[in-house]
Amino acid sequence: MTVSAPTFDARRGVPLLLGLLGLVAIVLCVAFLSITVGARPVTLDTVWAALTAYNPDSTDHRIIWELRLPRTVIGLLVGAALGLAGAVLQGATRNPLADPSILGIHAGAALFVVLGVAILGISQLSIYVWLAFAGAGAAMLIVYAVASLGREGATPIKLALAGAAMTAALQSVISAILLTSPRTLDEVRFWQVGSLAGRNMDIVIQVAPFLAVGIVLALASARLLDGLSMGEDVARALGQRIGLSRAIAGLAAVVLAGASTAAAGPIAFVGLTVPHVARAITGPNYRWILPYSMLLAPILLLGADVLGRVLAPPGEVQVGIVTAFLGAPFFIALVRRRKLASL
Amino acid sequence: MHTALKTLLALVLAASPLAAHAESWTYTDGAGETITLDAVPQRIIATEDAAAALIPLGIRPVGIIASSQPQESRALQGLDLTGIEMVGVAYNEVDIEKAAMLQPDLVIAEYWPGDREWGGGPAVTGQDGQLRALAPVTGPAQLDSVVGLIEEYEKLATSFGADLSTPAIAAAKANFERARDAFSAAAKAKPNLTALAVWAGDDGLWVAAPEGSAELMDLKRWGLGFLKTGLNPDSGYWETVSWERSDTYQPDIILIDNRKPTNRASAEAKPTWTAMKAAAAGAIGEWPAYWLRNYSAYAGELDKLTAVVAAADENLTTAQ
Repeated sequence: MTVSAPTFDARRGVPLLLGLLGLVAIVLCVAFLSITVGARPVTLDTVWAALTAYNPDSTDHRIIWELRLPRTVIGLLVGAALGLAGAVLQGATRNPLADPSILGIHAGAALFVVLGVAILGISQLSIYVWLAFAGAGAAMLIVYAVASLGREGATPIKLALAGAAMTAALQSVISAILLTSPRTLDEVRFWQVGSLAGRNMDIVIQVAPFLAVGIVLALASARLLDGLSMGEDVARALGQRIGLSRAIAGLAAVVLAGASTAAAGPIAFVGLTVPHVARAITGPNYRWILPYSMLLAPILLLGADVLGRVLAPPGEVQVGIVTAFLGAPFFIALVRRRKLASL
Repeated sequence: MHTALKTLLALVLAASPLAAHAESWTYTDGAGETITLDAVPQRIIATEDAAAALIPLGIRPVGIIASSQPQESRALQGLDLTGIEMVGVAYNEVDIEKAAMLQPDLVIAEYWPGDREWGGGPAVTGQDGQLRALAPVTGPAQLDSVVGLIEEYEKLATSFGADLSTPAIAAAKANFERARDAFSAAAKAKPNLTALAVWAGDDGLWVAAPEGSAELMDLKRWGLGFLKTGLNPDSGYWETVSWERSDTYQPDIILIDNRKPTNRASAEAKPTWTAMKAAAAGAIGEWPAYWLRNYSAYAGELDKLTAVVAAADENLTTAQ
């Protein structure tokens, strides 16, 4: 085993680069579907007219502009954020099951937003986003602190256990705050499953800068994650500061998970599954895993959302439910076929 | 000496409050269970709905279990709660120590046959609920009429020793009957009018099944027509419709769930809200969803609805 940091290998690199371009094309296709397919059938001509000659008096035009476009943009951004957050967390904790939901980060963000809205009556999105970050950060710190108790420190398994316990506890608090009665589950559903519906461009504008910062941070931490993946001793021998690497990766994950929760609620499974698919394609190098995760995740998320719009007319199935249904069998097959690379 | 002691004991017993209510008390609840107590219960803990019914009838519970802070509870609006302890302010939660200090004789909740559960939350009033360790849970069933429910509470209050012949109670009832007759006249004057009750959710428009709501069934009984909707995939109470398909149903008037004060504003903020002709025409009223428990509140809501019905165009849409 070499102890040098991985470098660009043309024989592997060129096909992987072409693969990335292919994924960009698929992302664009899914985005096109997301604008043209929905609960209400709208002809392609009408979609084109809505985009080129917008008429605010037409219900169809309003649906394209005010429902589907924001939904598509949110799906792309939130998908990219979830895929990256999952990959970064899996690398930083060296835990193949790490994702923002399992580590309690989603639930923390959701709880703070719900508390802010329910108790302080906050409705400005600008405050909303900060609440989500605070909740995500607090949950992550607590989970990490709890998992660090005991002799061997924060092992992957203890992190997952602490995170699962945290998520369960926080979700029950969220339900208690939101459930005015069993006869209205509307908001409860959103904060438990997540959805891309009913969110407008304001929220996109609000969270976009944070997501951009998170994406840059995450992509920049590829080298650190590659170091960590060789084991702490090797990483130290290479002169890496383990604590700092983990803190940077953790910060990236908190920003991404917090912003995506503020925008779409807690969507599980995407962050868990996608990095494994990416790893199956690219091998263990985070410089490839991260961009692949960032492109694969929006394909899964937005594709699932489009499917959910046409599954149960005249209603819709929330995207979080569809991703679980789509992702679960796929994920199980992946796990059975190849031993999950130990991280 | 022995006799003297006995006499003394008898005197002490007679003077004790226990003896004053030594008649036994019995009630058959909404779930069909009969409960018998040795004495008429004095210290009652009530869910917010039950409290909203009992307080106007002169029965003041010692504690209330609500699913929110009292100022946010639609049911408790306008009621004098001084001296009443709030033992729960979140759904499915109760401060059991506070509740125990109140030494309740009885817990009054409501039974929802559709959900097969007691109001207040299963962890509080359910079969293994925390409150059952302190006192038995009983109460009427939520059926298809708020008026029927109020009448059941009147029986219950009378059994607790309430006097329902006071001028205030009589006036409230008379005012309700006036409001009901006015509503009924307005509704019957428009036989073709169709209504739809909704909750404006972020992820879709939630359409209520009138059969799942006692107050909507009352309105139907008094002459208001409801739009026929599709089968309900979600539950017995709601059908969700995508905001893209908000024109699926075209009623003449829309009634928006008013449990949440911002519900109408969030409906109007949806880009496709006005795809419903009634929304475009402003034929919008309030639906006092699931929280009406006394005649005064009912009269106020009915008066608002009467105005909406009177102003509505029964031929706005052709749907039947």
